[in-house]
Formats: sequence, structure tokens, C-alpha cells
Amino acid sequence: MHHPTSTADLTALIRDAAARAQPLRLVARGTWLNGGAPVSTTAEPVHLDAFSGIIEYEPGDLTITVGAATTLAELEAVTAAHHQWCPLAPWGGDAGSVGATVATATAGPFAHALGLPRDLVLGLEYVDGTGKVLRPGGKVVKNVAGFDLTRLLTGSWGTLGAITRVSLRLRAHPATVETWAVAIDEAHAGDIVRGLRRSATPPDACEALDATLAVQLGLGAQSQLLVRLAGNAAFVAAARADLHSRGAAVAADASLWMRLREAPRAAVARAAMSPGVRALNDRVKRTFDPANILNPGIMG
Amino acid sequence: MTASLIVPPPIVPPRHATCPTPLTLARAGLDSCVHCGFCLQACPTYLALADENDSPRGRLVLMRAVVEGTVALDDPDVATHLSRCLGCRGCESACPSGVPYGHLLEKARETLAALRPLPVQARVILWAFARPALLRVALWFGRMARDSGIAAELARLPGALGFPFAMLASTVRDATPAWTPRTTPTRARVATLDGCVMEGLFTEVNRATERVLCENGYDLCRTPGQQCCGALHVHAGDAATARRLAKANIVAFEAVDAEYIAVNSAGCGAMMKDYGHLLADEPEWRHRAAALSARVRDASELLADAGPRVGAPLARRITYDAPCHLEHAQRITTPPLQLLAAIPSLEHVPLTDREQCCGSAGIFNLIEPDVSQRVLGAKLEQIAATGAPVVATGNPGCLMHIGAGLLLAGSGATARHPIELLDESYARRER
Amino acid sequence: MTLADTLRAIVGETHVLVRPAELIVYESDGLPGYHRRPSLAVFPADADEALRVVRALAAEGVSFVPRGAGTGLSGGALADGTVLLGLQRMRKILEIDPVRRVARVEPGVVNVSLTKAAAPFSLHYAPDPSSQTACTLGGNLAENAGGPHCLKYGVTLNHVVGAVVALPDGEVVTLGDPHGTGDAAGYDLLGAFVGSEGCFGVALELTVKLTPNPERVVTLLADFTSINDAAETVSAIIAAGVLPAALEMMDQATIGAVESSIYAAGYPTDAAAILLVEVDGAAAGLDDDVQAVDRLCRAHGARDVRIATEPAARAKLWQGRKKAFGAMGRLAPHLVVQDAVVPRTKLTALLAQIAEIGGRHRVRVCNVFHAGDGNLHPNIAYDAGDADESARVHLAMKEIMQACIDAGGTITGEHGVGLDKLAYMDSLFTADTLDAMCRLRDVFDPERRANPGKVVPVRFCREQRPHKSAG
Repeated sequence: MHHPTSTADLTALIRDAAARAQPLRLVARGTWLNGGAPVSTTAEPVHLDAFSGIIEYEPGDLTITVGAATTLAELEAVTAAHHQWCPLAPWGGDAGSVGATVATATAGPFAHALGLPRDLVLGLEYVDGTGKVLRPGGKVVKNVAGFDLTRLLTGSWGTLGAITRVSLRLRAHPATVETWAVAIDEAHAGDIVRGLRRSATPPDACEALDATLAVQLGLGAQSQLLVRLAGNAAFVAAARADLHSRGAAVAADASLWMRLREAPRAAVARAAMSPGVRALNDRVKRTFDPANILNPGIMG
Repeated sequence: MTASLIVPPPIVPPRHATCPTPLTLARAGLDSCVHCGFCLQACPTYLALADENDSPRGRLVLMRAVVEGTVALDDPDVATHLSRCLGCRGCESACPSGVPYGHLLEKARETLAALRPLPVQARVILWAFARPALLRVALWFGRMARDSGIAAELARLPGALGFPFAMLASTVRDATPAWTPRTTPTRARVATLDGCVMEGLFTEVNRATERVLCENGYDLCRTPGQQCCGALHVHAGDAATARRLAKANIVAFEAVDAEYIAVNSAGCGAMMKDYGHLLADEPEWRHRAAALSARVRDASELLADAGPRVGAPLARRITYDAPCHLEHAQRITTPPLQLLAAIPSLEHVPLTDREQCCGSAGIFNLIEPDVSQRVLGAKLEQIAATGAPVVATGNPGCLMHIGAGLLLAGSGATARHPIELLDESYARRER
Repeated sequence: MTLADTLRAIVGETHVLVRPAELIVYESDGLPGYHRRPSLAVFPADADEALRVVRALAAEGVSFVPRGAGTGLSGGALADGTVLLGLQRMRKILEIDPVRRVARVEPGVVNVSLTKAAAPFSLHYAPDPSSQTACTLGGNLAENAGGPHCLKYGVTLNHVVGAVVALPDGEVVTLGDPHGTGDAAGYDLLGAFVGSEGCFGVALELTVKLTPNPERVVTLLADFTSINDAAETVSAIIAAGVLPAALEMMDQATIGAVESSIYAAGYPTDAAAILLVEVDGAAAGLDDDVQAVDRLCRAHGARDVRIATEPAARAKLWQGRKKAFGAMGRLAPHLVVQDAVVPRTKLTALLAQIAEIGGRHRVRVCNVFHAGDGNLHPNIAYDAGDADESARVHLAMKEIMQACIDAGGTITGEHGVGLDKLAYMDSLFTADTLDAMCRLRDVFDPERRANPGKVVPVRFCREQRPHKSAG
């Protein structure tokens, strides 16, 4: 077991492992270890929890830079004190780390309206498979300087580098937030969700729950639509009226969103890769992790 | 860090600065181009050919290269791309830097004219337009050919041979019902420019213009001694003839006591409004030219100022195509629409890309027939898309070019001057 | 058979340019200070021709530079003795799917043309660079272009869902998920490709999102007698939780240039700065946001706030902003254009610093920028023929860029690095990071034949192999 406390440690560790062709398993908070495909059983775990904490937060900029192992809960608490939040809010809950969310590009219920991880990450610090410390991107909200290693790392499942630091885009808390549950016929869930998202007053989250999940969340035995309306008071009032016109809506507790995120979810099927794209992927991996030691096999 | 990475290298100093050409004298205008490319999509020849050498930016670059001596004046590519320009000045409306493109093109063509003579037919036309008596005879023959139906027959000749006859044939008009304006003059006194082609081939439109102006309270007077405005000449690079014609017109119009000079041909109006610029280097004429230019109005401007009076309903679907020399050169956009709006029941279907040139551009259709036809093709498609049987446009070149295109396409639609429509609307009121 | 002959056989006689006079206009893009003469220029008509051109170039081992409308502002599309691959003939909108709200287009489609074509479905293409009437979507993809409305709607990256790409070796790959079938597998190669400035290959076809037109749009023009007040208002609006569609700022020098151009928008020429704020979205609640912005502007010292709701009035207010760059062409023969981004809270300090730097070097800096994003465009109009002035402009720009980097910002927010900002890259990134960028480029283009010499200074790229240029 490895426990680096600085990027210098991490560099030495990765270089050493590369020299030994020793596979490594990156671990921050350990909540995602069953995600992805199985990693080589001989892999040595590398605990990255030392890369944790708020590094830079200027609320007026609506950006934050945190250690990658910082939990989502801590991110939420620190930003909430300034009436801000990060819409990453991934499936799986807030016990996991920011770094793992970015590495796995895990979205959450707000992704459709407020952005996927790739839309919210501004910059990174990471150590690649050759032991180099790299700092692509930055901490400003708009940046096209250089080739986009940030996007490449987002969703790379730790196979191209160990992320140590993440800069993120934040949003101000909306003035008014309401959560509603609407009983729906599951067969039409897709249409109802699409209709709501395309209404004049779209919700910032809108998830269809099957009957089993609805029971788990204490919403009764019928399929439900869980909807979050956010904006200024007049907007939310109009959105609420629109929602009521579509079905019997019942006010629900905001905490349901966390419970929904924490509920187990079926894995999303990934599209097959064309041979050309497969070849590019292999070249990327060979380029940034030539010894194939970082989370080998996890992307299938 | 090296300086050259950040600071643009200085412009190469002119190598052939010894003998100033009209273009070198216009150098400041070239410098105002920042190469932003906003003009590209406003240029009909760029849209048709998709090569930046056939765009305003490309032509300005070529002009600058000639001025700086990096490209020889007689380089055939210079002549090719500069003569392919329609001179529509659509780019001027899109240019945020205020590049005086039209003037630069004129200077460039004047500079080039010495080296590269125009095609024979173009020279014949320019020669004739500078000789009023001769032109009258030529236009008389034109009318004969048109009214006898010969022009319509010859229009069937293939391609570039038939097109000029189709242009001629398209100017035919049914006899308009005569009506008498009923207003006594309450507005300014106005002299009218006859216009060579307008008076020669669109005689009825000129009479209609007079009736409509009278009806709206203008006090009209005739101006003897007026000549061709010179626009065709200056666009082709023959500035000397243009200046001679301009002076004749200045003398003629100075002799009439009229506040305004009404022009119903956009190209002529644009030229006359530019006399001040054309004669800026001749101290004894400069002020007289500017004074004349200040009196020139497109007829639609005068009518818009007057209201204009509402006519009788004309239940017809029409579309409006903006002549470049109205829209871009004179920056007159709404007056023709106000004029059409004075006709009750007229259904105006907006024309997509109405600000784009139709490809006529004076005698361009004779010098560059291929490019001209490609540009016209796009225009005809847009006109067809409106489903309107009438396209209104206030310039003889556009009327004939679009008119010929419609005729040859067998679409049944016709091109009309907006004033013809207003005149018809007023005439119906009489009944 | 020469290369030109080979290419003529593919695209036709008139679409290959080789004579010097005809190549001059292709020596520059929208940043006129740089001139690099291509060896030849070739203009394919469609994806098939483009692919055959790329393969012909690969077979000969010749470098090339893709170019759209040449409106870029970083010297990115200049071909220095190599082949210029112009994509402006590839301007077909292949498909608009109003149900999925996506469009499939060729790379030479002009940005605003797509918005016009989508208008009947009440949709539009959201990223709106100021050059949107001229720039192409392929160029937008290559530069990851932004625009005023990116504050709310995001940049090109956030709107491209797929691209069919010809890699420099002639292989064709589909990146992203253009058909919306599910998550794209593997690494985010589309994300890496967007903004790669033509160094990773040529997009032959793009699939982009279309955005519903907002129900209502209101544009506010606030004028300030102090530039600091204007800058502080920007932070205040963002902090208040209002997310305007756009939040733009222009200083007095820029206002003057615009107002003396044909795009005069009626901006108050005596104002120290103006803010152009656009609020859009659902009609419900919009007035509250408008009032909030109005109140914040006035609370921070705005002299007057004009509110435009009608399309014509709004368009006029915008027109001056969109054409500001060109309007500066009136001030002097040459123009340097910068594109730095700073944290929003540093705007006030940076503007003061820029004014100080400009004053010290006796150059006139015009600021026109996307204030909501902290994306500054300090521009200097000058005469390149004046060696002393040129040197002062150079020094001032260098200091301004360093100040932006020191403030935690970046050197380019939307224009790209190209040739123009190469010199700043090592102030921003470590040598290892720049080397990693080169390695990423090598994944797509191991021979480094696509747009050579751009984005990352060559000295940071190991194992640079010499490449052949077209003769």
C-alpha cells in the first residue's frame, strides 16, 4: 500500500512502479472501487487522500480549486457557506471525492441542465504514467490555451494519470428552489421528461423513478417524476403552474435528491468503439502510461 | 521571446513609389482594412466562386500589393479578380472599418485601364453613352427591336448571345392608363434626371415618376442639356470621361431653379451623389460638384418624405429586391418599402438576401457573363421562393438583368420599378 | 506529376491556386500583422474530395494547414510554405433534426447561416463569436470559439456532439457521439479535438446542438463615468445569482471608435465605460432579473440604464459591440488584438494596471471584452511603419499579458494560441505540461504535418521530426 503526501512522492512512486511494471490502483475515498471493469489483482493500491482540502476559493469568481481527494460533501459545505454550489453532484452521493467524479466523468441529476463534468472542470494537476506533474487548463472560466489534456483526463478512469488537484466552475444558489414529485405512468416517462425539459420553464433536474425506487424513497408504490424547480420566485411560480398542469404534483423534500443519488443504479451501456477510435485510444494510453501501470483494465 | 512573434512585421515600403497612380493616392483607404473578413459573406462573387481573391478582402490585398510593388500592375491575376468585382458595394455595408471600397475599386480600375483595355462591346457601349445624339439613335433602334418583337425572338439565341436581347425584351410595358395628378404643388421644386436607359427604354417609368412626384406635391421642371451621369464609365475605369459628363451635368442643373434633383435610377443617383468626390481634385469644380451632389435625391426618398399619399388597392403579391446602388452606395433602405406600403392590399413577401447583388452591375454582365449568370441564378432562386409574380427594384440595370433572367427562365414573373406599382395604384383610384 | 497536378485531378483546375499573386490573400487570417505564404492552396468541394486531398498530402508527406473563412485572431490558419487546405466550399448544411435538436454540417458552413437555417424551428446555434457573420463552424471547432453569449450558454466545446475527422494520415474516425446512441466509449477524444487548432486533423463533418430560442430577451445598456464602477458592477451581477446571457464591457476608446463607424449604436461617447447586459429565457421571472440588473448597475454608479426589448433596438445595441474590432481599424493602420482571461474579481485591478501600462508606453489601449467571463480583449491600434511605436506596443502587450498571467489568468480565452501567443505559452505552462501537449498531438498526428509550428513552441516538443514541405 502506498500513501504519497506530495506530488513529488507520487512522481517517485509512479516512476518506480513503471520501472518495475507494477500495476497501481488509484484510490481516493474508496467509494468507487466497484466502478469500471476489474483492475489487475496484482495492482498495489495508491491512497491519494492526502491530496485533500480547499486550495483556493474566491467566491466572487465562482470558481474553486480543491485537492482531488476532497469529498463532494466538503465541497458542498464550503461553497454553501457562500450561497454557491457545484452542479457536479454525481450519482453515488457525496462521500466520494471530486477527483474520482472527474476521473470517471460521473454525471448526476443536474448534468442535463447545468453541465457534465467535462463542462464544469476548468483545470487539473495530475501525475501521468511517466511520473510527470502536469497542470493543463487553469482556474478561469474560459481558456483555450494549449491542447486540452483536461478533457482527455476527464473520464479517463485514472488510466492516464493520478489527479491531484481540480479547478471547478461554481454557480450561485438560485433564489428559490422547490422539489416536487409527480406520479406518472412509467410507459410515458421518457415523453414526460422530454416535455418538461422543453417547456418554457425547464426544471434544473428531472428524474423518472420506477416503482421500486419510488417505494425506497417513500414516495408510494407508483412510478414518480422527481423535479427540481430553481430560479427567481416568479420563474418558479410559473414552472410550478406548468408542472401542475401536467399531473398531480406533490411537494417533496429536497433531501430526496441525495437519497436518489445514493441509490444503486444500473451501469450505463457504453457504445462500441470503431477500430479507428480504438487505435487512437490505445495510442493515448501508450503515450501517457507506456508501462500500462495505472488502473490497467478498468476501462474494459 | 522574440519581438517578431508579437508585433506584426512592418509593411514593406513601396518599391515603385516614384510614379503615383490613382490607386497609390488612395492608399489611406486601403490601410483602413483590418482583414477581419466580415465582407466575405456580403460579396456575391465570393459566394459564387468561394475564392477569397474574388472577395473584397482579396481584392484589397491585391490593390495593396500593387501599390507596394510586390505584385506587378500588369499581373494577369490582378486584372482577373478586379474585373470580376460587380462593384455592388455590398461589402461597404458589412465593413466595420469603413473601407471606401467603391472608390478604391474605381481608382484601381482607372489605374488598370491604361494596361488592360475592356472588351470591345464594353468599349462601344461606354463610347456611345458619352455621345447623347448617338445614344438616342441607338436606343431608338432598341425600342424598335423590342416593340417589333425581334428582341424577344433573338433572346432565344443561346447563352451570352441571347441575353442582351432578353434584357431589351424585358423592358416592354403594356400601355399604362393615363391619369392626371390632382394636387397643386405644395412641396419643393424638383428637377428630374432623365437617365439614358430610363428615358430610352423605360420611358413609361419616367412619366410615372413625374406623375407620382406631382401627386405628392412636388413642383417639377425640365432640365435641358443633361447627359449620361458617367457611372458606367467610372466603374469601368474611365474616370476622364466620367468627369467630362459630370461637368456637363453640373452646368445643366445649375441652370435650373430647383431645390432637388430627383433620380429614379439607383446607379445614376449614386454617381451624382458622388460628383463631389469625383471632382475633388479640381479646385474650380470641387465646390460646384459638391453642391450638385447635395441636391440629388432618389425619387423614393422624396416620396417617403412626402408621406407618400395612399393609392387605390392593388391586390398583388410582390417582392422587393434592393438595388445595390440604393441599398449600399446610397444607404437607402426603407424609402422604397414606404412607397410600396402606400399601396393598399399589396402583399410584400420579403426576399431572402435582398441586399445581395443580382449580377447586373452596370455593364458587368457583358464583361464577366459567367460570374454574372451565377450571381443571377442565386437571385432568381430566391425570387422563385417568394412565389411573387412581381419583383420590384428601382434601377434600370437590375430591372433588365432580373427581367431577362425571369424571361429566359419562363417563370412568368416580371421585374417592375416600385414607382410603376405606385403609379398603377394611383391610376386605379381614378376609375 | 506535381503535387498541384495531383490535387487538381481531385478538386478541379480552378480550385488549386499556385501563382504568387493569388496566394497573397491567404497569407493572413483575421490578424493582419502576420504573413506566411502557402506553397499552394487547395479547395475541396465536399468531404470526399477533402479526404482524397488529405490522403494525397499524406502520401507525399506534405504538411498542411486547414482554414475556414480566415477570420481567426491568432494567426492560427497561416501556412508557412506548406499547403493551405481551404474548406470554404464545404458549406452544406446536411441535416437539421428539430426533434433531437442537432444539426449535421460541413465545416465551411458559416456560423450565422446555421442559426438562420434553424430559425423556422425556433432553434439557433448558441456560440456566437463576434465574427459569426463570416466565420465557419469548422473554424469554431478548431479554435473552441466563444462569443458574448457563452457566459450562459457555453463555448463551442459544450455544443459539439460529434465530428467526422480526417486524421493527417488519411484515416477517418468519428469522434464523440453524433447519433446520440449513448455514452461515447473510451477517452474524450472529441473534447481533446475541439480547440486543437487544426493540429489534430481536419473535421469533415460536425454534429452540433441547436438551442431553443429564448422566449424573451432584454438588453440593457448601462453607462458609467468610472471604469472601476463598471467592473465592480460585473462582479456584483454575477455574485447576485443572476446569470445574464451576455455581459459585455466597452471602454471609452472603443466606444469612440464604434460611434464614428457606420455601426454607431448610440453609445454615450462621454461615458468612461458601458456595460451591455443581456438577460434572456422564460418570460416568467425575466422582468425580475432585468430589474435586479438595473438596480445593481445604478447602485454601483451607473449614470443611466437603457432597456431595449424590441429586436430592432436590441440589434442596434449589439451591433456596435459585434463590430467593435473592425471599427478599431479606423484608428490606425494596424491593430494588435489580445484575448486574456482573468478571474472576474481581478477585473478592476487589471483594468487599472492596463491603463497604467498603456500610459507608461504611450500607447492607446482599447478594451472591449466579455466581462462576465473575465475575458479581456485589450487592443492597440498603431502604425507598424513607426518602429518606435511598434516597439512600445510590443512592450506594453508583453506587460499586459504578464499581468494577466500573474493575476491567475490565461493568455487566450477564445482566439487560440496560433502563432500569435506561442511566446506566452511557457509563462503559463510548465515545460512538462507543454511536452505532454505535444505528446497528445502525436497521438493524432505523429508526423506533425497538420498545422506545424502552432500552439506549442517547438522547443518543448521532444523528438521533433523534420517534415517535408511542398515545393
